[in-house]
Amino acid sequence: MAPSDQLNYPIHQRTLDNGLRVVVSPDHSVPMVAVNLWYDVGSRDERPGEHGWAHLFEHLMFSGSDHVATGEHLNLLQSLGGAVNATTWFDRTNYFETLPVGALELALWMEADRLASLPAHLDEASVDTQREVVKEEKRQRYDNVPYGDAMQQLVRLVFGPDHPYGHTTIGSMADLDTATAERAANFFRNHYRPDNAVLTLVGDVSAKDGFKRAERAFGHLPAWNRRQRPPITSLPPLQGVPVLQVTARVPAAATWFAWRLPPRDTPEFDACELAMVALGGGQTSRLHQQLVRNLGVAAGAGASAVPLVGGNSFGLVQLRALPGADAGAAIEAALIEVERLVTDGPTAAELARAKAQYAREWLSELASLDSRADMISAYTTLHSDPERINRRLAEVEAVTLDQVAAACAAYLQPGQRAQLDYQQEVGDAQA
Amino acid sequence: MRKPDHRPEVKAPPRWIFPEPAHWWLDNGLQVLAFHRPGQHIAAVSLVLDNPLSTEPGDIEGVATITQRCLDEGTATHSGPTFAERLEDIGAVLSGSAGYAASDLLLEVPASRLSEALPLLAEAISEPELRASDVERHQSLRLAEIDHTMANSSNRAQVAFRQAVIPGRFRASRLAGGTAATVAAITAEDVVAYHARHYRPEGATLVISGDLTNEVYHQAAAAFGGWSVPGTLSVHHQTPVSRTPHCWLIDRPGAVQADIRLGGFGIDRGDPRWADLQVATHALGGAFLSRLNRVLREEKGFTYGVHLVNSPMRDGGLLAVSGSFRTGVVTEALDLARTLLAVTGKPITTQEVRDAVNYTNGIAPLRYSTAQGVTERVASLVAAGLSAEFVNSNAVALTRVTPESATQAIGELLPPDALTLVVVGDAAALRDPLVAAGWPVTLKP
Repeated sequence: MAPSDQLNYPIHQRTLDNGLRVVVSPDHSVPMVAVNLWYDVGSRDERPGEHGWAHLFEHLMFSGSDHVATGEHLNLLQSLGGAVNATTWFDRTNYFETLPVGALELALWMEADRLASLPAHLDEASVDTQREVVKEEKRQRYDNVPYGDAMQQLVRLVFGPDHPYGHTTIGSMADLDTATAERAANFFRNHYRPDNAVLTLVGDVSAKDGFKRAERAFGHLPAWNRRQRPPITSLPPLQGVPVLQVTARVPAAATWFAWRLPPRDTPEFDACELAMVALGGGQTSRLHQQLVRNLGVAAGAGASAVPLVGGNSFGLVQLRALPGADAGAAIEAALIEVERLVTDGPTAAELARAKAQYAREWLSELASLDSRADMISAYTTLHSDPERINRRLAEVEAVTLDQVAAACAAYLQPGQRAQLDYQQEVGDAQA
Repeated sequence: MRKPDHRPEVKAPPRWIFPEPAHWWLDNGLQVLAFHRPGQHIAAVSLVLDNPLSTEPGDIEGVATITQRCLDEGTATHSGPTFAERLEDIGAVLSGSAGYAASDLLLEVPASRLSEALPLLAEAISEPELRASDVERHQSLRLAEIDHTMANSSNRAQVAFRQAVIPGRFRASRLAGGTAATVAAITAEDVVAYHARHYRPEGATLVISGDLTNEVYHQAAAAFGGWSVPGTLSVHHQTPVSRTPHCWLIDRPGAVQADIRLGGFGIDRGDPRWADLQVATHALGGAFLSRLNRVLREEKGFTYGVHLVNSPMRDGGLLAVSGSFRTGVVTEALDLARTLLAVTGKPITTQEVRDAVNYTNGIAPLRYSTAQGVTERVASLVAAGLSAEFVNSNAVALTRVTPESATQAIGELLPPDALTLVVVGDAAALRDPLVAAGWPVTLKP
């Protein structure tokens, strides 16, 4: 039996009068429920000068509303046995709590309270504190970490600084500095609305009960007119291999290749993603076998695809040099492997293996209530089709060798890449 | 529609009990635990070996890690890369580590392919090729990995804290994967010898979770029943103790933040104070509005997050305030942390105990709802010398914690005047302010 034949998660959907899309997927295996809210706003919606605002304002969602004190949302739900957090990404901002089912109504009430009343409670003091917290996050996760700015550099190289995907969610210190309570309030009024959100409930709750509770908590909120994004255009593959060389305090030289790919969950993107798995997705992949195992020119070599909805996704190859060596031999060998893949495509065995790996990762994503709820919110927000979580594996299994070969030739040519090179600062390099 | 102004009531969660596993032994002494999780499409399997790192010869520390990493590079039945291809063909992934108390392997695979995956796991542990070329490659990759570990501020702080708290005569004071000098000294013969001596079915445990059928008894026996190793081996586990407190500053020139570890030697899950410590840790530095995070993050904005981290080992443990702070506020943050850790004048409250117990017991069903969650947690308990029954007995123990018992436990384990401090950051900017603020730091290379 193919893994795809097994998938039959129940999906019940309803749209409230104010436009809030609600999806309920009952699962009575444990007495808990995952509450997952996606707001259709991410770093791609930030304009120049606003880089990092979507994420900073995500922090402010925990700063209190009409009936909830500062920090209380997170702390109270934790104290009832809940796992609570929020994250921001290019394509969305999500808020989630997975808790004992007896606390479901309270969680929905608190989510609705902050959606309804947050802007009125923002003040400069809380913006200032969370700005400092976010700057510490930037230092801790990016600025004080070797290669920590790689993703920022890569998306800028691939998309250009003014493109919606040309900057990452953490943003810049300068733009964080210009955020104010008033600007935050405007941002919330523009983006945080019932008709710009998806609420998913997965767990020990019936569809009828889930809809009733969602209606009770959110139904009174007014409707807005759904915001329209400017039309999205897909960028063609890069030409001319833009290269950026960075000298930094890093433990070894390293290089990334990056490509513009088609938008997520299209047959072309799926074909590219499977090609990336064959190229660098695991121990049997071509890059690992050739660069790490056979030639011994790299300490690590891998490839991956980052799915995005707005016209393009991107794909990456990462190469880490051995201690004291430069990345030249690894780069040369990797380009030969990329060239070989785009010329001949993967073998049938490689494609079958890539699909088997994809299937395991997909099933793992759906294994827990919380991450299943997040997947359902994703497919509702980005593709208007939560049922697709049950069909995705069949879609990927249907991708043919010819499709992968064609996608490689169209999108993954060595000449269509951008390249980011890290070299060790003199003094750090130790042979 | 009317706006619901009244805060909804919360219904108490039903008492949840971690289900008993099916539990049996194969004739070769291998213990098997099977957890049936209906609806879980991924099966997760762990093999836990009773081979603590104290069994490594001192001059080749890291040999257990290199051995573990070479297991999937080829077996007698599937030579070289064909082994990994066979694994990936069925959608399986094999990972693992050589930990201080035990080596473990973790296999994840769609449950429908479990019967094909178990024999591959058995091959990897019982008949790996362990070729010299594979050993040399993993040696070189491990040396590169050490460079990356030490270049990372947070990892560097963790490594130093372990060294500062545990005396050097205990293996747990040093890197699990060995240092550059000991890794460089490992030969292929060492790896073959380590595998022959320490990979044995007696004392080992196989944990299988997922949507299982009754076939699992047969599958386990068919895959692992033939695994036998001549002779017997008596395994000794070290019982580390605490060093006297140290204050260390490790230089990372130009770093924009400093990583802090402030704490001491802790306890393991077998200590009668374990539940008390869990509660106190949550109240001081686990919850979002814990005493530490409320002040240092939410009021001061000094950090992205600060935690009191309770890391049990098989015997003893590590207990430390852990956080990353911009350089200019480090001394103020440390002074606040030391004050916030002092519970004698400000004991743990009834509310804090209730919140900590509700949190820990409340999220347990979620943690154990997936095959991966069950297998990884049970494997870590087995590695610590405990059984799966610990989950339920600890849940009960938590309900008996009082404000007094939690306050007493943390007061004993983290006396504010005898804490060990490790700071990894820009020494030129940090050293004088730290000394002036009463932290007599020694600069460590």
